[in-house]
Amino acid sequence: MSQNEAFGIADIQHEPDNATRSWRRLLLTNEFGLILLIVAFTAIFAILAPAFLSRFSLFAMGRTMAIDIVIGLSMMVVIVTGGLNLSVGATAVCAVMFAGWLIEAMGLPLPVAILGALAMGAGLGWINGMVIVKSGIHSFIITLATMSIFFGVMIFLTRAEAFRALPPEVAAFGKAKIGGYLSPLLLVTVVVALALAYLYRYTALGRRMLAAGASPAAAELSGIRVNRTFVACHVLSGLLATVAGLMLTARTGAAIPSMAGHLGQDWLLPAFLAPVLGGTLLSGGRVAVAGTFLGGALVTVLSAGLLLMQVGEFWVKAVLGLLLLLAVFADKGRRVWLAKRKMA
Amino acid sequence: MTSGTYTLGGLLAAALVATMPMAGLADEAKVALVPGGPHPYFAAWEQAGADAAKDFGLSAADYRVPQQWELSQQNELLESLLTQGYNSFLIFPGDPVGTVSVVDELTGEGATVISLAGCLKAPSADAFCLGTDTGNSAYLGTKELIKAMGGKGRIAHFTGFLVDPNTQLRIDAVQRAADETNGAVTVVQVIADIDAPEPAEEKINAYLAAEAANVDGIVTTAWVPAVVASNALRRIGDKRIKMVGIDHDEVVLQAVKDGFVNGTMLQNPYGQGYIGSFAASKMRGGCTVKADAPFKSTALTEKFIDSGTVFVDATTVDTYVAAMQGITKDLMGTFEATYLDCPA
Repeated sequence: MSQNEAFGIADIQHEPDNATRSWRRLLLTNEFGLILLIVAFTAIFAILAPAFLSRFSLFAMGRTMAIDIVIGLSMMVVIVTGGLNLSVGATAVCAVMFAGWLIEAMGLPLPVAILGALAMGAGLGWINGMVIVKSGIHSFIITLATMSIFFGVMIFLTRAEAFRALPPEVAAFGKAKIGGYLSPLLLVTVVVALALAYLYRYTALGRRMLAAGASPAAAELSGIRVNRTFVACHVLSGLLATVAGLMLTARTGAAIPSMAGHLGQDWLLPAFLAPVLGGTLLSGGRVAVAGTFLGGALVTVLSAGLLLMQVGEFWVKAVLGLLLLLAVFADKGRRVWLAKRKMA
Repeated sequence: MTSGTYTLGGLLAAALVATMPMAGLADEAKVALVPGGPHPYFAAWEQAGADAAKDFGLSAADYRVPQQWELSQQNELLESLLTQGYNSFLIFPGDPVGTVSVVDELTGEGATVISLAGCLKAPSADAFCLGTDTGNSAYLGTKELIKAMGGKGRIAHFTGFLVDPNTQLRIDAVQRAADETNGAVTVVQVIADIDAPEPAEEKINAYLAAEAANVDGIVTTAWVPAVVASNALRRIGDKRIKMVGIDHDEVVLQAVKDGFVNGTMLQNPYGQGYIGSFAASKMRGGCTVKADAPFKSTALTEKFIDSGTVFVDATTVDTYVAAMQGITKDLMGTFEATYLDCPA
């Protein structure tokens, strides 16, 4: 019997059981780190600015994060290919303006207009995907160009005039409060996120997207039609961008050309921030749906808290960036600490 | 903030303090002056709010700027300000249609909202709109330019962002003024989307480098293009091309003095902020908008109050502060009696 065995140390060094391994894996996930940060910042802001947890504040935060998360998801589904889609904002605006036109000019009912918008968004995503795979040019260049093209054509056709004679249920949905503080838009986001999680975990298409993004050459050799899969990713991106656009339309009660800013550029920061914070690899092949959800939530909590604490508006961006950097370092520190404790 | 703005603000404040009643107003008004984003035009609002808070005994009249010119940023700031306890909002709408929804929510929470410098598209829940009739200003400026050109020639029009419907109103107004010459004056080029330094420098300079010989007049209907075009004409130096600009940037005013620019259409940002704060405080004190108030109509709203616009040329540029003072003083002196019903 060795000295260790004599003191029972051998028991400690045994392989951990399944429950322990699952617990360790959970501690090491990006999602767990994000949850910790959200809880920590919520507690800090709630102490420093009690109005942070007021009903109106919770409602406003929920509504904002609902839209930002779906914007992030619309970028995430393209990042999985190792590419990106700079035209998510322009695509969304084109799609919802099309919906507004279908309602106001064509007199079609709301459900048909929503389907039309989704078809438009998917179609614009298909154009992005086809041009990218046929030309072989990086998606950055192609979607930078289509961002201007989509937006420019939309402005030309609409003369920057909004469609605001939408059915009243559109605005009512955006203003609705469940229990006085929960926006139904957040429920839409949860449904979208669950659907995406199902896609990537349980469907052949989702696994093909991951495989093609991880290694296009290997995926091609194993029989996956990579180009077709990449086009499908861009179609999905267009669809999700449209969903975000429709949610924003409910928020504003009208389809407006400036809803995503000039050329749709206002959406780029939330589009990248949520998936990257959430752990989606920019090199492709890995998605983090829950992480993107939590990443979007963290950014909203930070922005709302800083605004409420009356940090100068011009400092919010800088402080937000600093806090996000600290968050990333804190998360890295947590992993290193756990690894040193042999919990990895 | 430019020194001109300080001067204007200080002189106006001194004049108004000396002439207006200051006691007896409600002191519970907490006013937020919120532009659509950072822009030099709104810098005078800060001093206007501070002066109004002091003169009318407001608990606050704070200038709060969204960190970027984004509709979503402005909406989030407004929601946060409501949570912070502000009960009166003077808002330049980030979008005439897109801001309607958030204004509905603010008024639904009991806040007083006045549109300032730009109007919401009716129907909207704001009390009224106090600002510049942008279309009329562009029309009058173009008429002055045509006069300076001797009634004939070719005009280039440099203007703001296309997503702002005011831009289309300005484009139409310039065209209308040209059309009234029965072909003697033609608008040969409209360059829009340039109310920011980088695109304005690039596009205006490139255009003038190629086409200066084919242009007889320039009208600018946005702040940054006015500054860039003034500098460009100073560099060209021959004073052949006539120009009418907009607003009171020092660069434009100096170019007017030196004869490189024929004149500029001044707006009244200080007066907007000061009178708007006064009106908000009165409404928090129980005043209501008169049912038969003599509002003007614009393309956006039926509840418009013109805060004044003045054409200034080389002969009047040194006295423009007095001109704006006069307009503000006149409006202020009759505002309550003209537009408000107040409890005895």
